[in-house]
Amino acid sequence: MNEEELKRLFSEANFEQPDAEKKRAAIEAANLAYSQSRPAQSKKSSNATQGNDDPDRPMTNIIDLSRREKMSQMSQRWIYSGMASAAVIVLAVGILFSSLLVPNIVGRPDTARNIEATPAEPSVATLEEIIVTGSRIYANDERELEEVTVSTPQAAQIEYGIAASRMKAEAAKYASATSKMAEAKRLQSEGRMFIDPMSPPEVDANQDNFQTFETNPIKLVKDEPVSTFSIDVDTASYSYVRRQLNQGVLPAKSAVRLEEMLNYFSYDYPVPVSTEAPFLPTVSVLPSPWNAHNKLVHIGIKGYELPASEVVRSNLVFLLDVSGSMNQPDKLPLVKQSMSMLLGLLQPEDTVAIVVYAGAAGTILEPTPVSEKQKILSALNRLSAGGSTAGAEGIQLAYQLAESSFVRDGVNRVFLATDGDFNVGMTNRDDLQGFIERKRESGIYLSILGFGQGNYQDALMQQLAQNGNGIATYIDTLGEAQKVLVEEAQSQLFPIANDVKLQVEFNPATVSEYRLLGYETRGLKREDFNNDKVDAGEIGAGHSVTAIYEITPRGSDGLLDESRYESTAAKNQQGDEYGFLKIRYKKPGEKVSKLISQPINMDVAGGSEDARFAAAVAGFAQLLKDGRYTGQWSLDDALQMALENKGQDTYGYRAELTQLIRKAITADEMR
Amino acid sequence: MQQQTIDHLALIHSAQAGDEASFSVLVEHFYDQMYRFALKYSGSRTDAQDITQQACIKLAKSIHQFRFEAAFTTWLYRLVINCAKDWYRGRPDTTTTETLVIEVSDTSGDSMILLQQTLSAVDRMGEGFREAVTLVLGEGLSHREAAEILGVKESTISWRIHETRKRLVAMEANS
Repeated sequence: MNEEELKRLFSEANFEQPDAEKKRAAIEAANLAYSQSRPAQSKKSSNATQGNDDPDRPMTNIIDLSRREKMSQMSQRWIYSGMASAAVIVLAVGILFSSLLVPNIVGRPDTARNIEATPAEPSVATLEEIIVTGSRIYANDERELEEVTVSTPQAAQIEYGIAASRMKAEAAKYASATSKMAEAKRLQSEGRMFIDPMSPPEVDANQDNFQTFETNPIKLVKDEPVSTFSIDVDTASYSYVRRQLNQGVLPAKSAVRLEEMLNYFSYDYPVPVSTEAPFLPTVSVLPSPWNAHNKLVHIGIKGYELPASEVVRSNLVFLLDVSGSMNQPDKLPLVKQSMSMLLGLLQPEDTVAIVVYAGAAGTILEPTPVSEKQKILSALNRLSAGGSTAGAEGIQLAYQLAESSFVRDGVNRVFLATDGDFNVGMTNRDDLQGFIERKRESGIYLSILGFGQGNYQDALMQQLAQNGNGIATYIDTLGEAQKVLVEEAQSQLFPIANDVKLQVEFNPATVSEYRLLGYETRGLKREDFNNDKVDAGEIGAGHSVTAIYEITPRGSDGLLDESRYESTAAKNQQGDEYGFLKIRYKKPGEKVSKLISQPINMDVAGGSEDARFAAAVAGFAQLLKDGRYTGQWSLDDALQMALENKGQDTYGYRAELTQLIRKAITADEMR
Repeated sequence: MQQQTIDHLALIHSAQAGDEASFSVLVEHFYDQMYRFALKYSGSRTDAQDITQQACIKLAKSIHQFRFEAAFTTWLYRLVINCAKDWYRGRPDTTTTETLVIEVSDTSGDSMILLQQTLSAVDRMGEGFREAVTLVLGEGLSHREAAEILGVKESTISWRIHETRKRLVAMEANS
């Protein structure tokens, strides 16, 4: 690299054409910010000439409907009746519209595949958004608009567009803002009806495929005293959410998995000294930040760190997706860099093999000792992307290679780096899952590194990782690759416990209700806990796992009514315990599980800084998802709590969270 | 962000007076230039998109603060740089190890990645180096112009560029 070369690199940027979609989004965001940044002026002018008489009245009053006081200045009844009648007519049109549009969407080949796999997915998440927008528009004057019941969210949105265009006819001068609505209408007519014209674009996320799930409900201890789930050390959801927020967009609700956001952070829980038990549970009880009557039971687990003397040999197979869809700067080049980073941490006698797949799968590098690093690097560097994706064939080949160089008493692991779009060969997910499940028995672990966005198949990644004794992470930047593969290499590489299950039995004498925060996709049946055949999550060396229950102590006001006929037995039993925690795990290579248990005492200390930080993360995740149980608690409160409990924060990850909360506040305001 | 015609000045005036259409035209006009500059600064398309979006929003909020004392482009450069710095603040350090930079630079693949890595090496030289290099070597501005944008002495810019040259030569020798 010399000066001329650097200048040449710079000059290449001069030929870059900005992405049209991003440009449009940025300009829209700026226009919106512009109209919102002049409230003082608009207030003045609307005081002078109220209502619609002033043709130059800034559009703020119509766009920024969240400002109730301004809305109320639009007091002429004719506007409302105009809007209302337009809306009623349009309601019918809207329903017609939406039924016409559905086949259109299904007809698009790539979307069709996603819809087939998880039928409700792309729509549900975004539709929730639209309902919010719809109600925000009309909530300002229920008096006039009560009769307009929004029957379908699509109707609500189209209704909005057309009601707006009616207003445009009446006040033709509000050009710039109404053209935005016209743009929204145009997009709708093209079949892209899920775009909310006022929110920052969520278009990109629409092709990313996430499994939808319901937030865990509140349970009555009397009805269901026992809660069972599998641990989860994935972090993919957090990185994905971060990526969306960094783009000024709120993430799709189905992309927010609370436990993955919680477990993205490392917590300083006590670690066992001996390797007899691989981890120690730490239980604390702290007041619930969002509900004064409730408490949070915080359960933290940290696996022991592997001393250098115990590091075992690794047999790794990199399975890299080099299909055409990986040909983007945030995909294949990032994959190569991530793998080079990992290489730097391996022992010379460890082996690495590289399998690539695109239209067909092929072995690029037979298992090669890390001492021949240059050979591995040059194989990596030769890769380029192109063609379709025979993912399944690649997986089969990778497992075959891993078996061929299997290390007994060592780590055998396949690293799959992909954007997850398998479209050639065994594309049926159940077949693929069956294959991975069988391979799990052979002792080969799977790590999934997800890349890219726009067509990210998170649902499949999760399915594979959960069934293949694996960890799913999402790499959006080199910094994230550094975190996952370098700082947390131990956890990534060396499993210390398999099939880790948690079970909490709550004490009906002291707790009336409870709710598990997150882990929705990891729920287990009560009887699965003691069944060693049932698969669950793995913990790597040094991994920390956190779970939080929100409980309503007996005597406080819960959300569920007390049963009239329920006996008040079981009082005075273990009256100083909220419940009892049990953890089952298997040591790697063993078939029979071991049990760790301890009571959850009522009088444990008020929670550490770590526990409170975790609570802030959990609160943030809930607000991003639906905020169903968080009451008046807001993003600002989450920010405050995270800031106060940031602690040491050596790598700056916690500071990054506070930035993300700030971005969420901005994105939320922009909606 | 090189050329600037009288039209833009008129647009800025009317945008300051509250005309949304003028503001919209203004953003539309400068977006590409802002994006390309952000791209040179960040060496990453996605980062550049994000930075430019933030810069557009900031432009909306602060256009009325522009005083016509300096050239609008000078002001705009400063705005994009500030947005870019804000953007990277609070993110974990994404700089990689020195060795990796050299390893990956043998790939003749994506030149953006190479640019990104060179820039992070420049960034590690100290505060202000990245800005100076992007403005002088990237945008072809004179040391005096860059000094005005960054609010430092011309000699400071000359020194930073000189140091960067030395560093680049050393990096080349190492690899």
